[in-house]
Amino acid sequence: MKLPENVEKPLRVALVSLLVCGLLFPLAVTGISELVFPYQANGEQVTLNNTTVGSALIAQDFNASVFFHPRNSSASSVDPDITIGDAYGQIGRISNATGISGGTLKGIVNSLADSTLFFFGSRYVNIISLNLYLIKHYPSIYDRYVKT
Amino acid sequence: MITAPEIAFIAIIWLIVIVVGWLLAGFMYTIYSGRKSRLDRIFSPVERVFFRISGVDPTKDMTWKQYFISLLLLNSVQAAFAFLILSYQSFLPLNPQHFPDMSWSLALNTALSFSANCDLQHYAGENSLSYFSQMMAITFLQFTSAASGMSVAVAIFRGFSGKFQGLGNFYSDFIKSIVRVLLPISFIASIVLVSTGIPQTLNGYVLANTISGGTEILKVGPVASMTSIMQLGTNGGGYFGANSAYPFENPNPISNWIEVVLMMVIPTAFPFLFGRMVGNKKEGNVLLFTSYMLYAIDLAVAFIALSSLNRGMEARLGVFSSVFWTVTTTAFTTGSVNASLAGMNPLVVLSAFMGMLIQATPGGAGVGTMYMLMYVVMTVFIVGLMAGRTPEYLGSKITPSDVKLAMVAFISHPIIILLPTIIVFASGVASSAGIGRGPIGFSEVFYEYTSAAANNGSDFLGTAGNTVFFNVSTGIVIWLGRFIPILVMLNIAGNMNSRIRNFEEGLKTDNILFAAILLFSITILVILTFFPFLVIGPLLAYLEGIQNAL
Repeated sequence: MKLPENVEKPLRVALVSLLVCGLLFPLAVTGISELVFPYQANGEQVTLNNTTVGSALIAQDFNASVFFHPRNSSASSVDPDITIGDAYGQIGRISNATGISGGTLKGIVNSLADSTLFFFGSRYVNIISLNLYLIKHYPSIYDRYVKT
Repeated sequence: MITAPEIAFIAIIWLIVIVVGWLLAGFMYTIYSGRKSRLDRIFSPVERVFFRISGVDPTKDMTWKQYFISLLLLNSVQAAFAFLILSYQSFLPLNPQHFPDMSWSLALNTALSFSANCDLQHYAGENSLSYFSQMMAITFLQFTSAASGMSVAVAIFRGFSGKFQGLGNFYSDFIKSIVRVLLPISFIASIVLVSTGIPQTLNGYVLANTISGGTEILKVGPVASMTSIMQLGTNGGGYFGANSAYPFENPNPISNWIEVVLMMVIPTAFPFLFGRMVGNKKEGNVLLFTSYMLYAIDLAVAFIALSSLNRGMEARLGVFSSVFWTVTTTAFTTGSVNASLAGMNPLVVLSAFMGMLIQATPGGAGVGTMYMLMYVVMTVFIVGLMAGRTPEYLGSKITPSDVKLAMVAFISHPIIILLPTIIVFASGVASSAGIGRGPIGFSEVFYEYTSAAANNGSDFLGTAGNTVFFNVSTGIVIWLGRFIPILVMLNIAGNMNSRIRNFEEGLKTDNILFAAILLFSITILVILTFFPFLVIGPLLAYLEGIQNAL
């Protein structure tokens, strides 16, 4: 059966573009990414005691008062970061619960903080990095809170 | 208020985009005018494969009608492919989460929306689309709709310039846009975006045992290969429901600003390309200058209210980047979002409206400049009447029938926005969908149809829009909003192509004075058309906010 030309041509162009843009392109990007940036390509997975405990980019619940907590309302609802002010506001509670001095905690927050506009702008800090730092550097306090 | 370093930052971003856009325009000029390029050695063989398989003769010129019909047919077939893939994804491979098929009305809405470069989404991709659908339906249409818009603009440029034989061959322009512009840039951008932390994998979602003893699912997938073309092609439909607010789609300030530059580059390059194609670079500069002035006004309005914002924003992006993105994504009719509109000050919403109502500030890939030319035709005519001269543009007469056509394109925009908005409130649809009747409820529905008609795709309703009524009605509005102006502008370009040129008498359009007149006439036209609706929507919400604060 021969299709009329004004049906056949768009059908052919659509098929070629489907295969190239919808299949070959994402597959090529996947291949190279898995090879060159395997950590990023798989969602920056964080492991602790040989178990995947989450992603550095996705917020998770930290119930205990010894941890920094994420915000609940945010546009994506999985915002892994808090503002520097929010982090400072949690220092008192964490210091009371752990005995780590407020000054030390503030130093940790500052050392891990980033800026929204590279050299200026508002500062923010990733709660997963913060809590992992505490778990690694204060095992005697934190080990019993790690349930993974 | 905005600070001096923030203004400097905007200036740097603009400078980068304008330089890159200028370079890209030079490259695109060689592509679309068929000149030799050093990159032919790489691209020509790939293109020949495309041409051979699809049976396209790239040298065959088309009339404006043939060009339009080819575009419409191709986009229809492509939309049909996507509709079928979404409707039967449970039978197709690469569905590790075993997502069910999409409902017919949602699949229809999605196929119409992405094939028309709108990307309004009534679904959250991470909870409803297989990897196959994300690649073969969504990413696919993001390439093709951008390439379609670019092709149409190039055909219109040819007609306006009168320096080419005809308007060109649609399939040739389409294939070249994909092979030479969109694929290479998206490829590099995808890899760079992966390096910033955007996932790109076909492994299924990851189950994590969280530190506090809970579980969490990490929703990964082929995200970066979509994010690059979604921004570059001014598509805007994201992998995730939360779009570019979701950390896997926009992990940090570096990815954020790369994505901003990507969405701005092609719309910025097109006015430069226009200048080259009509043989007077200043003509292109005037269009670009006017677009950026309107864009600057939008930014200024949005930043008036900056200090009162903070809800619904991601900490890593902050207030400045969120507001800048919201204005830019509507000014370039991309429609991706990196913060929740519901948390935004009504003045930011007003700015977003202005971008979508004008559609040329600078607007979407290719079509933004097309809209600017629609305003040019109307402006030249008005000025001609006032000065008592025959209206001319680029040496060609602008006839009353051209102006009538341009008015059809212009008037169709308010009609397809306002009519369904009124129907929603006059019928029981608004209350049954749980939409309020106050200024915010009105803004939500008005925004939905504005975004659909402007092929923007950012939205207020979100998944609440997933009803048969909204799916079908916005789907229709999207296609009318896409193809009526394209039809009309191709018609004008076709008429102008064959006219005799006379550069002696006409009004000079390549100078700052004309840019000012153009800016003024666009502002008047758009404000006169939409002002009452902006008053009862975002402006009323803003005034209510002030009243509550007092």
